[in-house]
Amino acid sequence: MVKAVDGIDLQLRPGGTLGLVGESGCGKSVTALSILRLLPRSGHIVGGRILFGGQDLAVAGEDEMREIRGNAISMIFQEPMTSLNPVFTVGDQVAEVIRQHLHLSERETRSRVVEMFELVGIPDPAIRVRDYPHQLSGGMRQRVMIAIALACNPRVLIADEPTTALDVTIQAQILELMRELQRRNRMAIILITHDLGVIAEMAEEVAVMYAGKLVEYGTVDQIFDTPMHPYTQGLLASIPSLVARGRPLSTITGTVPHPLNLPPGCLFAPRCPRAFERCPTAFPARMEQGDGHDVACYLYGDRAEASA
Amino acid sequence: MSALVEVRDLVKYFPVRGGILQRKVADVKAVDGISFDINAGEVLGLVGESGCGKTTTGRLLLRLVEPTSGQITFDGSDLLAMRPRQLKATRAQIQIVFQDPYASLDPRLPISEIIGEGLSNHGMKDRRQREATVAEILEKVGLRRYYVNRYPHEFSGGQRQRIGLARALVLRPKFVVADEPVSALDVSIQSQVLNLMAELKDEFGLTYLFISHNLGVVQHVSDRVAVMYLGKIVELADSVDLYRSPKHPYTQALLSAVPVPNPHEKPQRVILSGDVPSPINTPAGCRFHTRCPLARAVCSEVQPALELKARGHLAACHFS
Repeated sequence: MVKAVDGIDLQLRPGGTLGLVGESGCGKSVTALSILRLLPRSGHIVGGRILFGGQDLAVAGEDEMREIRGNAISMIFQEPMTSLNPVFTVGDQVAEVIRQHLHLSERETRSRVVEMFELVGIPDPAIRVRDYPHQLSGGMRQRVMIAIALACNPRVLIADEPTTALDVTIQAQILELMRELQRRNRMAIILITHDLGVIAEMAEEVAVMYAGKLVEYGTVDQIFDTPMHPYTQGLLASIPSLVARGRPLSTITGTVPHPLNLPPGCLFAPRCPRAFERCPTAFPARMEQGDGHDVACYLYGDRAEASA
Repeated sequence: MSALVEVRDLVKYFPVRGGILQRKVADVKAVDGISFDINAGEVLGLVGESGCGKTTTGRLLLRLVEPTSGQITFDGSDLLAMRPRQLKATRAQIQIVFQDPYASLDPRLPISEIIGEGLSNHGMKDRRQREATVAEILEKVGLRRYYVNRYPHEFSGGQRQRIGLARALVLRPKFVVADEPVSALDVSIQSQVLNLMAELKDEFGLTYLFISHNLGVVQHVSDRVAVMYLGKIVELADSVDLYRSPKHPYTQALLSAVPVPNPHEKPQRVILSGDVPSPINTPAGCRFHTRCPLARAVCSEVQPALELKARGHLAACHFS
């Protein structure tokens, strides 16, 4: 059994943006898919709760989930080519979610689709709704995905690497669009990405994940100004920049452990430059450092505990 | 410094065929008249967005793709005039590292054969000698000797890219085209591979053409940087200069679009409208004028030449 995500605690405020950052296989996508209960058949939520406005999504019925998906909580995926259906027009695919949830007349549905296309900045919306996915560029396809996600004014948008497949100039357009739509609809965003630049720009709070565990949590300023976990510090230090030009980049030695062969205790210990005897004993608990900054690392004591 | 590679007016059109007779109906202008030099011992970065022609440029330099027209001189000899035998000998000097470490290694061959294949093709017939050479290069790229009999699926992405580097370097080339060598890797692994590439460059006296869409990575590794847009080089300058004072409006927009990993720095962003035009119907005049915030009438009529705008700083724009 692979523990893809192991004991993650997160909170999302209405209208806020939570960034979920980590490298391939750290469990950030599985976390997001769990919220919408979209895990593949082989995956199960074996414990924990997912509270959404008082309702526990982890145990909600399939009908209730269908009511929520695409409506109150929606999701955009990384690869806009594979997540759109190639044999339906993009307009039909936006209309599908509106028909499912909003129960408008056919004419209202169609005008809502065109309105959504306009909202996400697709030129000539009335014509483009008749296009098939392959007729659109990557950036335009991602706009269609966003139109589908936002068609029912969700309260939460989960964006899983929404710009990773796009060029930087198109990425800038899409991020700007997401920000603007968030302001307008007062929706909360969970942004999943491996790109620390995108996190710095978009997120208010950041959760850093490593091998299925949450290792650090804080505001974006706390994470970037005073990162505490050696993994977060290593990640930030290994970003190439002008300052370090010509000099070797700082690296994190070794590789992410295989999920079937996890080390004992702290999962980062074998790669950690500051590991000591205690690290392989047990995974450190999440410890409060004040002002909402939490870290799971034995280098730091628990302030809340110490003062108690 | 002398130029190891000289490229002049290099053009590559890919025909688009259509109709019942599969006649040529149009051309994809992948690379449309570019010129540049790569000096011995330097790293020239080549950046641009998808479809700008940077990968085709890299492959043209190895003649993995035959150019439509233009000239490539490698180490003083005309690469395009070479006959097969001479070309083969020269190719030992020019190697490539590919982007996707999963697709670029044959899953049915052990590492020893993946790396050793070039050696036997270039005349090292003695198996012992080959094995020793392979083992030696494996150590140079930071892998253990006893890995030689393993197959690609047994390695992680970062290790595979090290194998790709070993395969490129085992023939002791002078020049390596690195096509998005770290794009498929996680940040922590990416920095390991970039450091290794820098070490190997010093040890073997290599020259790199470093192709990437990641502007941060290119900035870190390159001495000079060329920016491509729709088959043209729009700017070419010293790396520090280019990032500090970009002259072409496309370069400016591109650099401003990169998210900065610092929440206190809110960059002045130039958001470009629209998408890159199709390389089949390239715009007349300046290729960038359809999206350029500075475009005027002249831009849609006259194609700007790549000219010297400051010391060592070339740009192709009427208004920079």
